[in-house]
Formats: sequence, structure tokens, C-alpha cells
Amino acid sequence: MCFKNLPIEFDAAGKPYLRAGVADPYTATMTAPRGAPTQLSADKVEELLKRNGFIQEMDFDPVTRVAGALAFHTVADFNARKVLEARSMATLFRGYEVIMVGRDPRDAIYITSRACGVCGGVHSVTSAMAIEMAMGCVPPPLGILVRNLALALEFLYDHPLHLHLLAGPDYSAAMVGPTNPSLLARARSTEAPHAEIHGFRTIGDLMEDLNPLSGKLYLEALHMTRVAREAYVLICGKYPHPQTIVPGGMSSTITLSVMNEMFTRLAQFFDYSKKLVAIWDDLTEFFYTANPAYKQVGSRRAHMIDTGIFDHPDAYDATYANAGAWGDRRWATPGVIVDGELVTTDLHKLNIGIEEFVEHSYYEEWAGRGQRQRFPTDPAGNPLSPYHPWNKVTKPRPQGQNWKEKYTWDTTPRWDRQSMEAGAYARLWNTAVARKLPANSFIESTGTSLKMRLPKGALPEMEIEWHVPEVWNAFERNRGRAYCTAFTALVALNNWMAAMDRLKLGDTRTSTPFEIPQRGEQLGVGFWGAGRGYLTHHLVLDRGAVANYQIVTPSTWNASPTDRWQQPGPYEEAVLNTPLLEETDDPKQFKGIDILRAIRSFDPCMPCTTHIHSDAGVITREVNTCACGVDDDGG
Amino acid sequence: MRVIVGGVGYRNLRDHSVGVEVADRLEAQTWPDDVVVEDISYNPIAVVQRLEDEPPERRFERAVVVGAVQRDGRRPGTVSTYRWDGKLPGDEEIQRAVTEAVTGVIALDNTLVVARHFGALPDEIVVVEVEPAVHEFGDTFSDTVGHVFDAVCVLVRTLATDDGAVARLPRAPLGGGSLVNVEAS
Repeated sequence: MCFKNLPIEFDAAGKPYLRAGVADPYTATMTAPRGAPTQLSADKVEELLKRNGFIQEMDFDPVTRVAGALAFHTVADFNARKVLEARSMATLFRGYEVIMVGRDPRDAIYITSRACGVCGGVHSVTSAMAIEMAMGCVPPPLGILVRNLALALEFLYDHPLHLHLLAGPDYSAAMVGPTNPSLLARARSTEAPHAEIHGFRTIGDLMEDLNPLSGKLYLEALHMTRVAREAYVLICGKYPHPQTIVPGGMSSTITLSVMNEMFTRLAQFFDYSKKLVAIWDDLTEFFYTANPAYKQVGSRRAHMIDTGIFDHPDAYDATYANAGAWGDRRWATPGVIVDGELVTTDLHKLNIGIEEFVEHSYYEEWAGRGQRQRFPTDPAGNPLSPYHPWNKVTKPRPQGQNWKEKYTWDTTPRWDRQSMEAGAYARLWNTAVARKLPANSFIESTGTSLKMRLPKGALPEMEIEWHVPEVWNAFERNRGRAYCTAFTALVALNNWMAAMDRLKLGDTRTSTPFEIPQRGEQLGVGFWGAGRGYLTHHLVLDRGAVANYQIVTPSTWNASPTDRWQQPGPYEEAVLNTPLLEETDDPKQFKGIDILRAIRSFDPCMPCTTHIHSDAGVITREVNTCACGVDDDGG
Repeated sequence: MRVIVGGVGYRNLRDHSVGVEVADRLEAQTWPDDVVVEDISYNPIAVVQRLEDEPPERRFERAVVVGAVQRDGRRPGTVSTYRWDGKLPGDEEIQRAVTEAVTGVIALDNTLVVARHFGALPDEIVVVEVEPAVHEFGDTFSDTVGHVFDAVCVLVRTLATDDGAVARLPRAPLGGGSLVNVEAS
């Protein structure tokens, strides 16, 4: 059964309908999602803090080495070495939904791109797709293939950046030495199993070169971001805000010369992927062997959601009606995973299960209490919640932080009322299990793994295999991201070859002309992905102008706060499950490295989550909000 | 002497666009062969890589970098200029600057710290800071910054071409320059 909590059932033809006899099917006061973990109440935590000296607050404000403004509040029991309370705070207001209302929809391609300085292009494409759906405009095959290439290149910028500039330093000698000296000593005497691939004789050597600013791996990642960026601008003009994304395809001129220049850069990622995978396999297995408790760092239920990405030109028709069919033909299969099991790959079912709540967010409610629901169904006639993005209204309401009430600018997206995680690894997991990959020579989906054949470069041809992990934690997120770099490079290779075939046929058309409808109301949604996973833009057009625009990003899911059922958001849940493994008994000496590993493993991107605008002006860099000392009366 | 004049800022961000507007204005002017004017308002890591691409015999010997910067205790419209002493903050701050750089933050001090750390800047670094009055979307300056804009362009041109004018500037840490009397237009 697809939905366990929402009262949605399916007829014999598989068509969803609301269960009969449920008076108010989407009331938010329904029973808590079954089996969900819960936070301790704020009152209970306060009582524990007062009674026990070994229970103390530990705040991270801002959380460094993440994109944008994230603060994190924890209460930890230093005797039991565990976290009792975890609160994730997006500290800036998301305003792009407000900015978009009333505009020409084409503006969305350029405006929403500015939501992020890393992955602007993913927003441009997602908005172009939402507009395509609203207008009924289908890109030509080469336009679809080049769009896939552009996004793959963007991910090839993003993944190394995260692995070795943002998360990598958490596993470096400079970090492990002060927090876990015996672990570093052990690393220095442990031979690295894949030394012949990555070139580091011991795990200690590898840790040294993960050191920030000076480590070879840190510097190499900086260089690889350049390689990906150079390839990207060949077809998109600029990075990170592309100038060639249009509804109906791409405005780039694609020639053999452009394709060849792109390939010389793409090919560098085949060898680099081999190294990344070897490094993160070795690091992960070292930590697991040294102390199996590391398997608990950042652990949570394997609840994931991904919209899929990389369309097949024979399948994508930009219609909502056929989204299930074209979604299934994607190179990365869409899907929802609950407790490690794939429950659907159908974009309709994925879409109708999404709701966005604001109980603990600085927004006013827009649904309930007799308010009219604008869209009771989606364009295919499937039931929609009043909390669905197409029905959502963004009503910002700044106020003081209060754990019992509101404490973040992030909203609380849930699927079937469950706290879902987004990430590059969800892309791998869905694709591995669903076995719907297009036929190709480089990637194979086995049902439990993805086999990938990386071509020869300076390193020999190599087959690697990502297995669905037995445990889900910070290490597996990073390991998955390393494998996803290889997966992305091979998807790009497949699309590059298909694009070359189109060029050989003389098919150089990359876009389809379109007109913005000036009458009536149209709905569109871009189902796409960022480097960090899931991305949707829901659009309502009214007489040619944007009537509603709603963005849900991977970090909207991952950074979401505790919901009204006391079910923590993914960062919060992962931190609540994280043991404190630093080698000190003095709470004052704790650096919180395991908590930070848990958070950073998600690759937080707060500009995307909150979209950086405030009534007082535009915010262009992160701010310190002083989460410490927040109290329960909102002070 | 090869000189690069670089403007740093966001477009369409009113006073915070002053660096790129100066670069746009000066780029359209005629310059000696050894002066290059560019908008360097992009990922500072990419700025490092762009500067490193210059062949060794053609490396820049002076950088004049201009942009809006908010500093405590400075009146909006204030123009401050100095030769940066090149002293970098601690490693933690540099890491933070690199993180900001690769995640899309565009800022004058960030660009300088990252470029300096990776050895991409010449020894002579002249900084021109303009204190902004407003921080909001829009394609016009506030009156305060609009009044000094022409003079800032003249000042930057002078610092790119007049060795004596540069020699008279104080050497100072980042943000520690002396105020300049600029004629409001």
C-alpha cells in the first residue's frame, strides 16, 4: 500500500481516491504517523536541564562549512553521551515565492536561479519545466539531452565541493586529531585497502590530505570545480546562473566543437570518480572497524524522496497526465522510500502525497478553519491536500524563537505525513532498486545495487558497485555522494553520446517556440533535482501571470523542524540518534564533531531552503542569530 | 606595470552594485595597454583561477579592487582607500571565506582573502571601499552613493595609472583604510 497515513486508496485501475466516510481527510489533527520517532517535549527537556548538571545545551550558530545560514540547538546528556533534543533553524526568510507573484512566468527562470549560489541552474531548469507543463511546450530531443548534460555538469561541480571542501574536513587529521587522538593514531598505522587507486598508503595519509586549505584532496576538489564549471559554461553561458535555459529547451548553439570541448572536461571525472569512491569506501570502513558506534552517527530511518532527473527524449512530453510514464524513463528514477522499501516510482503518487506545514515555522496558516481549498484535485483528477504546494499561500510572520511554537524559516514538508530525506543518494537508491534504467553500456540497476563501468583514463577501466546500505547514517550519505559522482559522470556520458548521434543526423534544434497563454488558469510543476536531491517548483498561471509559485528544495525537507506530531525533521532525527564519541569527559572540551558530521552529511543548502530575502532588505551572506539562550516565552 | 582593476558586487542590489558599476564605466574607457578592467564579481575561487591563468611574465603587479563594504562606524557614502598590507585572518576565517566563495557569496573582503591565501594577488593591492546606504533590490544607487559615484570612478582610474598616488596611500589591514574626500558630482 502506497499511503499508510493519508486516507488515499486506489481503484482497480490504480486511480487514487479519498477513502469514503472520512469527514475531513486532511485535518492536521489526525493521529500521528505510525512508527515515527518523537522529540521530548520542550517542558520535559527544560526539567531535565534544571535537574542534572551533566545535561547541557550545545549550540552551533552558525553551523559552519555549509551553504548559507543554519543554526542548530541541541541538549546533550554528557554522561550517557547522547543527544536529548535537536532543533534545526533556518535563520533567514524565504521570499522567492512572494517575489514571483504577478510576474511573467519566464522571469522565474532567472529570478529563482538566484535562490542559490551553488546550484542556480537547477532552479532555472525546474522553473522552465513548470512553465513547459503549463503551456504544453515540449523541447526537441537535443534540447532535452543538452539540458541533462548541463545538470550533470552542475552536479559534478557540487559533489566534489561537498565531499572535500565542506564535509571532508570533518574526517581530516586536523579535525580527528584534537577530538579523537587514538583514532588518528590508529589511522596512521592502518593501510588503505584502495591505495593503488587513490594513492594514499595509510588512512592517516588520506586524513592528512583532507585537511582544509592545505590538503591535496581539498586543493584537488577546488580544481575539479573549475573543470566542471568550464564544461558547464560551454552550454549555459554562465555559472551559477545560466543564460541559456528557456521553456522548451535550451537557447545554446550546439556544435561538434562544443561537444568535444565538453568531453575533454567530462572525461576527467571518470578517473576522479574512481578516486572518490575508493577514498570514501576506505574512510567509511575504517571508522566502522575502529568503532562500530560510528554506524549510529547521523543514523535515521531510510525514509527518502526523490523526483528523479535526466529525461529520456523519447518519453518526456512535458504533460502532467503522462508524468508517471516519462518519470519512469528517467536516468535517475523518481521514487519514495519508506523504511528502506521503495513504495512508488510514480510522480503522481509522489506529488499528491506532499504537504507543507508551518506549525513551527515563521509563517501563518493558510488552510483549515473553513478556508476554501483552491485545488481539491491535481490536473489528472487525483486528490490534493489543502497543504499541497499548489494550494499553499506563503504568509511570512516573523516572531521570537520558541521551541513550543515557532523557531525556523524552513517549512515542514512531509510525504504521507512522514519526515522524508532528500539527497544524491536517494537518486542512487531509487534507481538501483526500481530497475528502470534506460538500456546502456555503463550503468546497470540490479534491484539491490548499481553497477557502474567507468572508462579507462590514466587509471584503468573499472567496475564499481554501490550497494543499498544495511545501515543509514552520515558515512553512507557521503559514500553515496561519492558513488553518485560516478553515476552522474556516466549519465552525462550516455547523454553526450546520444547528443552526438543527433548532431550526426543533422538535428541541431535545441528549443521549441512557445507563447505564454494570456487566458485562463494553468498549472505546472517542475519535477527535477539539485545536486542535493529532490526539487520541485509548483506554478499556477492566471491570465499569463504567476498567481502562485512554490519551491520545495532538498534542504526544505532535510532542515525541516519538528512537526505537530512531534516527529523531528531529518537533521533533527539524525542528530538525536548520534552518539558523542569524542575522547573527552569534559563537556567544555566537546567540539560536537559527531553532531556536525551528522548535519553536514546531508549537504545543507540554506539559501535554497530560505531564499534569502527579508522585508528589511536582501541578505547576501549568512548571519549569526545567537540561537543560544532562546527561551520558551519567545524571548 | 601590469594592473588589473576589479569591481566586486552584486548587480541590481542598489548601493551594493557600486563595484560592478565602476567596472562597467571604466571598462568602456580607453586605457594603456598594461591596464585591464574587469568585473570580478564571481566565485572568488574562479577569480583565483583566472588570475593564475596569466602567464608568469605577464602576471599583474598591482590590483585595484573596488566595491561596497559595510563597516561599523562609517557614514554611508564614505569612500575609503588603502594599500592592503596583505595580512590574512586565521585559518578558520579563511576556511569560512572559501566556504562562502564556493557556495556563491560575492563580497570584496572575501574575494581579497581567498585570492591572497591562494597566492593569486600581486604584492600591491589597492582597495577602494564605498560605504553603502541601502541594501535592497534595485538598479539605482541611493542619493548618497549616487553623489560620489563619478568621483569614485575618477579615483579608481587614478590609482590604476598614477604610481605616485598609490605610493601616498597608507598601508593598512583589511577595512582599515583612510577616508578620501571625494567631490560629489
